[in-house]
Amino acid sequence: MENPIKGHTVESFNEEMQREHKTVLEMGALVRSQIRAAAKTLQDEDPAAARKVIDDDAKVNELDNEVAAHVEQILARRTPVASDLREVLTVSKIATDLERCGDEAGRLAKLTLHFFEHPDLSPNFQLLKEVSTVASFVEMMLQESLDAFDARDTYGACEVIRKAEELDGEFRSALRRLTTFVLEDARTIGQFVDVVLAVRALERIGGHAKNIGGYVVYLVTGRDVRHETLDAILRDLAK
Amino acid sequence: MIDSTPRAPGSKGVLADTLEQDAPLGSVQTVGEALLENPSVSCRDVAVHYGDKQALFDINLDMGTNEVLALIGPSGCGKTTFLRCINRMNDTIQGCRVSGTIKIDDEEINHADADVVSLRSRVGMVFQKPNPFPKSIYDNIAYGPRIHALTASNEELDQIVEDSLKRAGLWKEVADRLQAPGTGLSGGQQQRLCIARAIAVNPDVILMDEPCSALDPIATARIEELIDELRENFTIAIVTHSMQQAARVSQRTAYFHMGSLVEVGSTDQIFTNPRQRLTEDYITGRFG
Repeated sequence: MENPIKGHTVESFNEEMQREHKTVLEMGALVRSQIRAAAKTLQDEDPAAARKVIDDDAKVNELDNEVAAHVEQILARRTPVASDLREVLTVSKIATDLERCGDEAGRLAKLTLHFFEHPDLSPNFQLLKEVSTVASFVEMMLQESLDAFDARDTYGACEVIRKAEELDGEFRSALRRLTTFVLEDARTIGQFVDVVLAVRALERIGGHAKNIGGYVVYLVTGRDVRHETLDAILRDLAK
Repeated sequence: MIDSTPRAPGSKGVLADTLEQDAPLGSVQTVGEALLENPSVSCRDVAVHYGDKQALFDINLDMGTNEVLALIGPSGCGKTTFLRCINRMNDTIQGCRVSGTIKIDDEEINHADADVVSLRSRVGMVFQKPNPFPKSIYDNIAYGPRIHALTASNEELDQIVEDSLKRAGLWKEVADRLQAPGTGLSGGQQQRLCIARAIAVNPDVILMDEPCSALDPIATARIEELIDELRENFTIAIVTHSMQQAARVSQRTAYFHMGSLVEVGSTDQIFTNPRQRLTEDYITGRFG
């Protein structure tokens, strides 16, 4: 969907705003593919692919730097206000969250290197199943948050915030299941810690997707809802 | 009620549409907190006609004590006309008719018995272009206190001149040349001289009509700093075309459009999340 960042008398302002909007979506697509690829390296036991994920994080960082530089220029040259200001701030915040998602994907890829570059550490594959499940879930959350941003869809954004609560439950269930493995076989304790850290990294990505959902509500309504409950947000949107 | 629905993608905005129609909005319900408790200036149903043409429609707006109210809006929207109602400057325009009530500290200024000279000592005005009298710096400031007989002695007058120049932030620059012509000062200094002249008679209200439009950024910054200091003692209304200036100097902002007051709110709210599309379109530059 086309984003309604148009209509300025100064056409170049429209272009600058749309460019940043596009860059953030591009960055989001890249980060999602990084998360997917990182989870796949674990399944495929592929250290070479994991290295590529780690190297490709530089591209995410580059886009983050690009957005930060352009946001600085827009603030200095255009002094945006009202919805324009919110768009610029939102773009800046989303880029920061996406950059951190990229870092978390890198952490996941490092787990592949850790397990499969050292044959003596061959992991318990039951443990790794948890990683794959949570990875798919958070990738979907991230996609939905970026779709909501693109469409300025506050209800789509709220759905992401709701899913963050679901993710929280899923994370705790995964911990319980992983703990069961440790209790059955204490030798898996080292792997347990590594896998918990990986799932934790994914859970953080879900948290960033939730943040993006909150930014979308702010973008559209002007209300900062980061510290509000989903019910309170929905009540306010219904007014 | 005017439209407050979101803008369609790519639309030039509702402002552009209404400007193309070139028709006044007429009497609209102002959105936001236009009225205050214990206002310094209180305007109710103020309308202005120039002959047959109506320039202002039922404006209801208060100004609070010790606040700077910014009046913004496109050219011809009526903000200067409204400002000029507050010290009856429109009386000087032939065919101009003002209706409604305007009270300053509960006194109706348009009352038949109201003393216009006294009113203008209570309501000072600073114009777009600095307009010092062709007199010395000293006499520019002393003029008001003399005609209003505010002083009993020359020493007292000297003190008023010094105090006014100090409050206007000009004293240090002119203390050693008070007898030099006011017109010899730089543009920024002349504007501060005009502000000093306005405050010399100790008004309640100061009206400023684009006071910085002819000044460079440094002189503008000094005037803005001065406005912030003067706020402690005066009620100030400022008409400006600079959105950044309105955002920097005021506590409340009123958006006028085609003779109507569309929205009033805290400056923070107006510049971050205005409630009316017209306001949003204007301040974000979706104009024309």
